[in-house]
Amino acid sequence: MTTSLETQRTMQDGQWATPYTLEPGQTQYHELSHTRVWVTLLEQEWQIRYQRMPEEEDLERWLQGVIGASPDPDLSVQRFVRPDDGNEIEYLPAMSSLATVIRPFQPLTIPADSECTIYVGTLLWMRILAGSRKMHLMELPLADPSLTWVGRTTMEGELCYAAATFARLVLDAVPKRPWRAVTPVRIVNQRHEPLLLERFNLPTPLLSLHRNDKGQLWTPGVTVTCETDMSSARLKIDQQLISAAGRCTLVAPAREQSARGGLVRAYDRIFG
Amino acid sequence: MIESLEGSLMQFFGAIAWGKWFSTLFLLILGVLLASFAARGVSRFMEDRASRHHTVMIRRLVFYLILVLFFVAALREAGFSLDVVLGAAGILTVAIGFASQTSASNMISGLFLLVEKPFEIGNFIEVENTVGEVISIDMLSVKLRTPDNLYVRIPNETLIKTRVVNRSRFPIRRMDLTVGIAYAEDVERVEKLLLDLARQNSACLEEPRAFVLVTGFGPSSVDLQFSFWVPGNQVLEGRSQMMVAIKKALDEEGIEIPFPHTSIYAGSHSEPFRVQLLRPETTTSKGDPDADPKG
Repeated sequence: MTTSLETQRTMQDGQWATPYTLEPGQTQYHELSHTRVWVTLLEQEWQIRYQRMPEEEDLERWLQGVIGASPDPDLSVQRFVRPDDGNEIEYLPAMSSLATVIRPFQPLTIPADSECTIYVGTLLWMRILAGSRKMHLMELPLADPSLTWVGRTTMEGELCYAAATFARLVLDAVPKRPWRAVTPVRIVNQRHEPLLLERFNLPTPLLSLHRNDKGQLWTPGVTVTCETDMSSARLKIDQQLISAAGRCTLVAPAREQSARGGLVRAYDRIFG
Repeated sequence: MIESLEGSLMQFFGAIAWGKWFSTLFLLILGVLLASFAARGVSRFMEDRASRHHTVMIRRLVFYLILVLFFVAALREAGFSLDVVLGAAGILTVAIGFASQTSASNMISGLFLLVEKPFEIGNFIEVENTVGEVISIDMLSVKLRTPDNLYVRIPNETLIKTRVVNRSRFPIRRMDLTVGIAYAEDVERVEKLLLDLARQNSACLEEPRAFVLVTGFGPSSVDLQFSFWVPGNQVLEGRSQMMVAIKKALDEEGIEIPFPHTSIYAGSHSEPFRVQLLRPETTTSKGDPDADPKG
């Protein structure tokens, strides 16, 4: 199901954390990432439908608008009783609830006693809040996340989401999409031998989301220090965002709070 | 006569120390009540802090401990000496032991099960062709609920003696599917296709990686083993979705999944079979392709 060109022309850019107002009977349509979302307000209920788009379609903008046509009746619908009389609907981004294993398409070698910063874009979940009290209706991933297992053996470890990355070293080369959050990851190799970065585990549930003036989403930076061997790396989440992010406002706090404010974690499976 | 009977009855009832027996009974009832309350309290306290298995174990332990304490106190109150009771219990145990070997064996097996902990409440286990979720581990038996909602009681002794497979011990599982393809097909192409399916399926884990092995040359197909990993809670859906996807993908690519067929070969040294089509005695069907008018 594709929207007509006419509809596309009337659509505008969607924004996170911005209330939209619908009248009963109206449907708001969104097209972002690999997902189409239809939100319909009726007299007594909210209805949400969504559909995945083929992965080949690479969108750059988040299009949204009120459409005249009613959604495809074949799509499965989720119904919610209106929490109050408010007609507002708001969308908040959220990081994944499981840690994400980042795997560069081509492994990257970090020479001995040196460091680098790679920029990683991660998939977001969309939280839908409705009414004047902003009641949480549902949460959906903006593309189908793939799962992976991180552990020394198949008996112990944890399930994580997996994401492939180009592991870009230049910030300007990172494509900025409204549905992807950029995390600067500084990798410090203090060993006397090179470090081959094939994959590493990014603790996405511990990262908060911030939006800058251009509508781009950023998370605080993460520093991974590898001192002796790859199985005993330390991970620290920065308190501040990098200066390149510009002036930012917090749009979603981290799902999980780290044990200590500064967070210095010794993690035995950062590099898988 | 009646008077004398009345008199002896009165004498008998008068001789019973009613107060003692009432306090014994009271202690027993109090014991049951307190044990129930304590067990329920412990269960509520542990509900969010420990696994269901541990909660049930501790709840039972607390219940029986309090009950035994009150039972002993009640016996003392009734005037029984504990030494005599224990001695009698010893003799009784031997007598009962002979009479109820099976129960005793089940009870002891139950203790071993608790210590060894091969499964917990909520796990999916397989015992002697029965697969089910463990719903309770009791003194004599373990109760299972099968996927088709049957209640199965398995004696503890059986669980100690036989092979038990715990299907939910580890969080991820490997699925092995056997895919047979026709001899004419390109095995490497099918292998690539299957690995692509594993990449596209959201239930299929990226790591450990999926793989394809050629397991044999069957009577009518080349047999491949397609193995991929799924999270423990998506075993059924993962398997079924993948099988549907394999069928669809092979059909789309025009790759044949052969069904068993037999070729009759008479051997190179023997004469070939002579096949002759005969005209049916009454040839009425014109459109029948087998009915060759020339014979």
